[in-house]
Amino acid sequence: MKKIFIVLLLLLTHANSASARSIISGISTNEINIDTSFNGTDILLFGAKGDAGNIVVAVRGPKKNFLVTKKQKLLGIWYNGKRIKFKESFSYYSLFSTFNDDKVTNQLLSELELGTNNLKFMASDNNFSEDQKNEFQLQLINKLEKDNLYSSGANKIEFLDETLFKVMLHFPKNIARGVYTVEIYLINENDLVSFQSIPIYVNQIGVSATISDQSRQQPLLYGLLSVIMALIIGWLANYLFVRFVAK
Amino acid sequence: MQIYLPIAEIPVNILLILALGLATGFLAGMFGIGGGFLATPFLMFIGVSPAVAVATSSNQIVAASASGLLAHLRKGSVDIKMGLFLMIGGFIGSTLGVSIFRLLQKSGQIDLVVGINYVIFLGSISILMLIDSVKTTLANKYNLSLEARKKEQSTWFKSFLLSLDKLPYKIYFPKSEITISTLVPIILSVGIGILVALMGIGGGFLMIPAMIYILRMPSSVVVGTSLFQIIFIASNTTFLQAISNHTVDIVLAFLMVVSSSIGAQIGTRVGYKIDANKMRIFLSLLLLAVCSKMFLNLFTTPESLYVIEILK
Repeated sequence: MKKIFIVLLLLLTHANSASARSIISGISTNEINIDTSFNGTDILLFGAKGDAGNIVVAVRGPKKNFLVTKKQKLLGIWYNGKRIKFKESFSYYSLFSTFNDDKVTNQLLSELELGTNNLKFMASDNNFSEDQKNEFQLQLINKLEKDNLYSSGANKIEFLDETLFKVMLHFPKNIARGVYTVEIYLINENDLVSFQSIPIYVNQIGVSATISDQSRQQPLLYGLLSVIMALIIGWLANYLFVRFVAK
Repeated sequence: MQIYLPIAEIPVNILLILALGLATGFLAGMFGIGGGFLATPFLMFIGVSPAVAVATSSNQIVAASASGLLAHLRKGSVDIKMGLFLMIGGFIGSTLGVSIFRLLQKSGQIDLVVGINYVIFLGSISILMLIDSVKTTLANKYNLSLEARKKEQSTWFKSFLLSLDKLPYKIYFPKSEITISTLVPIILSVGIGILVALMGIGGGFLMIPAMIYILRMPSSVVVGTSLFQIIFIASNTTFLQAISNHTVDIVLAFLMVVSSSIGAQIGTRVGYKIDANKMRIFLSLLLLAVCSKMFLNLFTTPESLYVIEILK
């Protein structure tokens, strides 16, 4: 924490001298390493703004394809009805801003896809009406919010003084691996005053990474090993029980 | 105590997984069922994706069955000859079933098919087994002659069994002391194999009653023989899943394998102490409970009307 504070101070003096940039920020780490003890993590974002305007911080995770299915009822039995596939949607999305509420409508925000209501989801086929697509899209967002993968927080940006701010970015335990981008915007009315983008790399490391790699690179060996491990441990349990417990 | 699972990509509580393994292993050793019907939904409940849950459960079933089988082999209560015939059919059936599974998965109705299958097969088997075992218990208690009981057995089932006896390629199974056409165990296990692949389970709960009522094997060898063939089917499934879908999580499997091997040892020992008929009542009640849950699931309004999946 002390280290971060020093960095912050340095940053502050730097920001004051370099008034050419109206916003400057940094994060406490560029890497999230998932090992066997991973259970979610936080990254501190800090910065200073030199001009008037609202700050918006957006974090986007690697894109995935999502399938949303609606349950329907026939003769009292529930079955899978309509389904829409959303292509290349963010698996993680988190937004912070100095706006007073999440529902601010602004053309710029919509163009920059800032805010869950401004995210553009692409259905893989066009057999659905706009209403249907919106209904399914809303459900997808709700689910991702429930899983802590999507979030938005107005007023969650904390100011230490007039120029210096910090935000705590939370990455839950169920995040996907890949490259995340942290985008920091300074928006005055409808103008984008300043923009900065910082990548965060989410990697699997250690034993966990080795296992995950091997399962894809050597599936034959991996499958054989899984079965052999099960057989040996099954045999061992039997042997130990006969020997030490009872027949 | 948490551990991050490399394939499932979520952390889980170690103690919770160990307890689950112990419970499923116990059922495997005691009743000769793999316990997949218990483990798979539970893993899904704690956030493991269905694909990983099914594949990893089958890996765990290998260990539980191996552990249980060795205990039964020591007691000499395994009909290996019969087990081999059942294994052949099981391989054919589960391979066929996997293709049907893929077809249904594409159409999006696999959940419904699995649900209905569970209700029909679990329901009818558990009710039949319960009625039969309760009758036996009553007969024993009030000293009714077995002859009188036999008369109660429905005539259509009797004639069905008689027609089975007319099939060719008869062979003698010394361990079970029965003579039956080899077609019967093979066709039976092909059918069960298909259902096993469709329902994502080891299939012990279908095999056990079939052995008792259709093959008419003595209760003493049924559990061991069931475990014998489950090992092969579950190994095959684990292997296929690892190769084609990369969905076996070896860390999750390891935790479950260790605890279920121990559970199977305890289950076998408890199983020997309990009278066969009482055991059948327990098993049928257990299956009936699972079946009722499945039945309700089909008809009750789901908590969320929308299902969201991440596609690979």
